[in-house]
Amino acid sequence: MRRPSSSMLMTAGLFSLPLGWALLLLIVPYILMIAVGFWTRQFPLFVPDFQFGNYLQLFSDPQYTTVILRTLKIAAMVTGCALILGYPLAYFLVFTIRSDKLRNLVYMAVIVPLWVSYLLRAYTWKIILGTDGALNSALMSLGLIDAPLDAFLYNQTAMVITLTYIFVPFMVMPIYAVLENIPKGLIEASEDLGIGPLGTFRHVIAPLSLGGVVAGAMMTFCLSFGDFVAPVLVGGPDGTMVANLLQTQFGAALNWPLGSALATLVLIMVLAILAVTGWAERASARNLR
Amino acid sequence: MTRRRTARALTAFALATLPLAATAGELNILTWEGYADPSFIKPFEEASGCTVSATYVGSNDDFAAKLAAGGGVYDVITPSLDTVGMMRLAGFVDPIDTAAVTGSDGVYPEFSKHPEIVVDGETWAVPLIWGSVSVIYRPDKVTGTPDSIGVLFDPAYKGKISLWDDKSAIYWTARYLGFPNIFDLNDEQLEAVKAKLIEQKPLIRKYWSSAGELTDLMANNEVWVSNAWTGLTSKDVNALGKGFTVAEFSPKEKAEGWMDSMMLVKGTPNQECAVKFMSYMQSPEGQCGIAKSTGYFPVNPGAVSSCMDAAMKEERKVDNIDFVKSLVMWQQPVRLDKYLEVWNAVKAAP
Amino acid sequence: MSSRPIVTLDGVTKSFGSFKALHETSFSIGEGEFVTLLGPSGCGKTTTLRLIGGFELPTTGKIGIAGQDVTHNPPYRRPVNTVFQDYALFPHMTVAENVAYGLTVRGSTVARSDIPRQVGEVLEMVGLSHMGGKRPGALSGGQKQRVAMARALIRKPRVLLLDEPLSALDVKLREVMQVELKRLHRELGITFLMVTHDQTEALALSNRIVVMEAGRIRQIGTPNDLYDRPATPYVADFIGATNLIEARYEGREAGFEVITLPGGAKLRRKASGNGFHPGSEVLIGIRPEHLSPAVGDNLVQGRVVDTLFHGDSIRLEFLPDGATQPAFAQLARGSSLSADALMPGQPIRFAVAPEDVMLFPKVAA
Repeated sequence: MRRPSSSMLMTAGLFSLPLGWALLLLIVPYILMIAVGFWTRQFPLFVPDFQFGNYLQLFSDPQYTTVILRTLKIAAMVTGCALILGYPLAYFLVFTIRSDKLRNLVYMAVIVPLWVSYLLRAYTWKIILGTDGALNSALMSLGLIDAPLDAFLYNQTAMVITLTYIFVPFMVMPIYAVLENIPKGLIEASEDLGIGPLGTFRHVIAPLSLGGVVAGAMMTFCLSFGDFVAPVLVGGPDGTMVANLLQTQFGAALNWPLGSALATLVLIMVLAILAVTGWAERASARNLR
Repeated sequence: MTRRRTARALTAFALATLPLAATAGELNILTWEGYADPSFIKPFEEASGCTVSATYVGSNDDFAAKLAAGGGVYDVITPSLDTVGMMRLAGFVDPIDTAAVTGSDGVYPEFSKHPEIVVDGETWAVPLIWGSVSVIYRPDKVTGTPDSIGVLFDPAYKGKISLWDDKSAIYWTARYLGFPNIFDLNDEQLEAVKAKLIEQKPLIRKYWSSAGELTDLMANNEVWVSNAWTGLTSKDVNALGKGFTVAEFSPKEKAEGWMDSMMLVKGTPNQECAVKFMSYMQSPEGQCGIAKSTGYFPVNPGAVSSCMDAAMKEERKVDNIDFVKSLVMWQQPVRLDKYLEVWNAVKAAP
Repeated sequence: MSSRPIVTLDGVTKSFGSFKALHETSFSIGEGEFVTLLGPSGCGKTTTLRLIGGFELPTTGKIGIAGQDVTHNPPYRRPVNTVFQDYALFPHMTVAENVAYGLTVRGSTVARSDIPRQVGEVLEMVGLSHMGGKRPGALSGGQKQRVAMARALIRKPRVLLLDEPLSALDVKLREVMQVELKRLHRELGITFLMVTHDQTEALALSNRIVVMEAGRIRQIGTPNDLYDRPATPYVADFIGATNLIEARYEGREAGFEVITLPGGAKLRRKASGNGFHPGSEVLIGIRPEHLSPAVGDNLVQGRVVDTLFHGDSIRLEFLPDGATQPAFAQLARGSSLSADALMPGQPIRFAVAPEDVMLFPKVAA
C-alpha cells in the first residue's frame, strides 16, 4: 500500500479538526434540537415522535407569546439605551479626544469590563440598585428622598440598566470602527460648505456610520435577547425572558420537547434578525461605493 | 503488531477519558444547601477517605433535570419524599441494601417503611432529615402576630413579599383558597389558584430560588415576609446581626412537611463511598451535624440522643413523630406536568 | 498688487505642540488674483491654506477675509470654499447632491426650488451636466476633480482655496485641468488661492507666487520676478532650475562685477549694486538654459559627466573646473557640438551673458 504523503496528511489534519469541531459541536446539536422539538413529553421523561403539538402549544398558550414579546421589548430597549449611550461615547472618542494615548486609554476602559466576569458585573448592579444599595444611600444622604425606594431593583428597568451596562461595549466597538474610518476631510468639506456641526452630523457622519450602528444594534439585540442572568439577578416577578423559559423547560419542567421547539423558534427569530440586519448593512455599504 | 498497538492505544484512550467516574474515594452529592456543611462533612472525609463534593438544587424538580442531562456526575441525591418515586420510575436510581447502611434501622418507621421508599420489597432511599415549610416574617414590620397564609397576599406588604420559586406555590395558594385536595386539584381549582397567584404578582418583590437568595432578600431589607424552609433562613438571617430579627410561624391553614432521603444514582462507581456516607449520616455526628447546620429535624432519634440537649430535642421534634400529623406532607402531584405548567404560566405572566 | 486686498494675514503663526509649522507670516492677496503657495512638503503652505479655510486656528496673529476679522471663525462662517486634495466628495450622495450640499445650509439665500437649476448650471460649467445622478465612486479622477470644483463654486465664494488640486491626476489630465482652472478663474473673476509643490503648475497658472520653505515665506512675486530675480539661491533653484557654484567676489570693473570661479577663471556679471566686499565668498547662479555652447568671452569650463536625452533637448551634466557639485546645461537638439565632444571626460565650455549671472551671499546650507 502506498503511504499517503505527509503533505496530504497535513492538509487532512488541518481541516479535519475545525470541520469535525463544527460538525460535532454545532451541526449535530442543532439537528438534535430540531428533532427533539417534535418528540412527545411522557411522564417521567419523553419519547421520540413526530408531531407538531409542541409548536401548537407555543402559539396557543399565551404564556409563551407573552414572554417572547417581553423579551423582544427588553432587547429593543437595551439596544436603544446602548445606542443612546454608546454612540456619543464612540463619537467623543473619535472626534473630541485629540490625544491618541488618552483615546486608547478611554477605549480600553470601555472594553476592559468585558474581561471581568459577566456575573460579577450583573451582581454589582444588584448592590447598587437594592433597597439598602448605593443609589438609595446616595439619594438619602442628598436629602432627595426620606426612605429607600424599591423602584430601582427587581423590575424590568433594573434589567434594562444591567443589560445596557453589560452590552454597551458591543455597541461602542463597531460604531467606533466606522467613525474612525470616516475621512476627516469629509467633515471639513461639510463645514467648508457652510454646514455647522449639527448639520454635518446629520448629513455626513450619521449616514456614514449607519453600518456600525446596524452591526452594534444587531449584536446588542441578539445578546440581550438571549440573556438569562439579568432576569434572575435583578429582574422581578415580571422579568422572565425567553432564555429563562428555555432553562425551565430543560430544567424543572423536564419538557425537553417543548424546550427544543421553543429553542428552534428562537433560532429562527435570531436568524431572521441577522438576515434583516445583514441586508441593511449591505444596503448601507452599497451606498458608500 | 500494528493492530495490537492500535488496540492498546484505544484502551489507553478509553481509560484516560474515564478518570472522574472511575476514581474511587470520591463522592459527588446533588443536594440542598446546608446538607454538605464542612462541620460534619470534614470529619466524614477524614474518617472514610472519601472526598465529598456537593452541588446544590433549588427545588425538587432540579433532580430529574440534572440527572436527565447526564447523570453520571452524581453518586448520591437527596430528593424529598414527593420526588423519590419519580427518580425510581425514571430509572435514575438503584435500590439500596439497607443491611449495609449502619444505623438505618433506627429511623422512624413512618419514614423508613413509607410506601414511596419501600416498593415491592426493595428499599430505594434512606431517610436523612425532615422539616416543614412555614412563613418567615419581620415582626418589626408586620403588624400584629400573623397566623394565616393571608399575610403572603396582603396588599399592605406590597413589594415586600417573596415566595419560593417552586410548584409548591400552588399548594400554598390552594390551602389559602380552602381547597383540601392540594395534590390533586382539578382544572377549575388550578385556574383559581393561577388567577390568585397572578393577582399576587404585583405584591411580589422577587421569587426566591435558593435559601441563600432568601437570606439575602431578608437581610438586605428587600422583603419582609415569605414562605421559607423552617429553621434554615431564620437561623442564617438572625446570625447576621442586622439590627433586626426574623420570626417564623406555622399558618392556621397548616404548614407543609417534607422529608429528604438519600438515593443511590444508578450504576455509580463510588458505591462504597456512597454507602459509607449514608451510614455516617445515620450516626450521631451525621444526624446532629446536619440538624444543627440546617435547623431541621433528625430522622434517627436514637442517633441524636447523646448530642442534643432536652430543649433542642423538644424544638427539633425528637421522638415527636406525631408532629407530622399537623403538617401537610408533600406528595407528588397527581398531574405533575400540569402543576409545573401552571406555575410557569404564573411566572411568565406580566 | 493693484486691487484691494481680500485676504490678509497679519503676524500669523501656527504651532503644533513644540513644532512650529508656520513662523510669523504676513501677506495679503488682492481681489481677483490667482495666487499660489509654492514649496516642498512640510514648508507650511498647506497649513497656511488651512488657516485661511478655518480648519486650523492660528496660534497668534490675525486673519482677515473680505474686510472681516475671521481669525476665530469656524469654516462654516467664512466666505471661502475649498477644493480638497483628495476631493472629499460625500460617498453616500450623488454628484448632484454633492454639488447642491452647500446650498442646503439653513438661512441660505437660495430658494429651495432654485437649487436644481443652479446645480445644473454649475455642472455644465465644469462639463459634467450628464453625471448628476452618479455616485462619486463611479467617477474618474478628473471627473471627481470637476465635481469638487463645482461643489465649491456653487457657493460663489469670495476666495476659492485649492489644496494641491491636480496632484492626484496623471500628467496629460493635469495639463487639461490647468487650462480649465485658468479658464474658470478668468470667467468667474473670483480670487483663487492654490497650494502646490509643482513649480511648473505655479508658473503656468498664477498671477503671483508665494515661495515657502520651512514655515517661512522666502519670496513673493510674479512668475517673472521669481524667475528673473530670485531673492535667494533656494528660490532660484526652486523656480526653474539653477546651477549654484561657489565663487569669490572680486569687485567692480568697467560697469561689471567680476567673480572668480573655483577653477580660477573670471566671470563678468552686469553690475546691480550689491553690498559685497571684494574678496567675499559668494554663490553664483546660472540657469541651465542660459549656458550656450557658442564661443564667447564669459566662459564656464568643465568636463562632461553624462548626457540625458530629453526628446526636444539634451540635458548635459558636467563638472565645472574646481567645483565639487556637478552643473547642468540644456542644449537644443542639433546643437553645434558633435557626439564625440559629449563623451564623458571631454572638456567643455559654455558662454553665459553677463546679465544671466545671478549673485547670492554664501549661506550655510
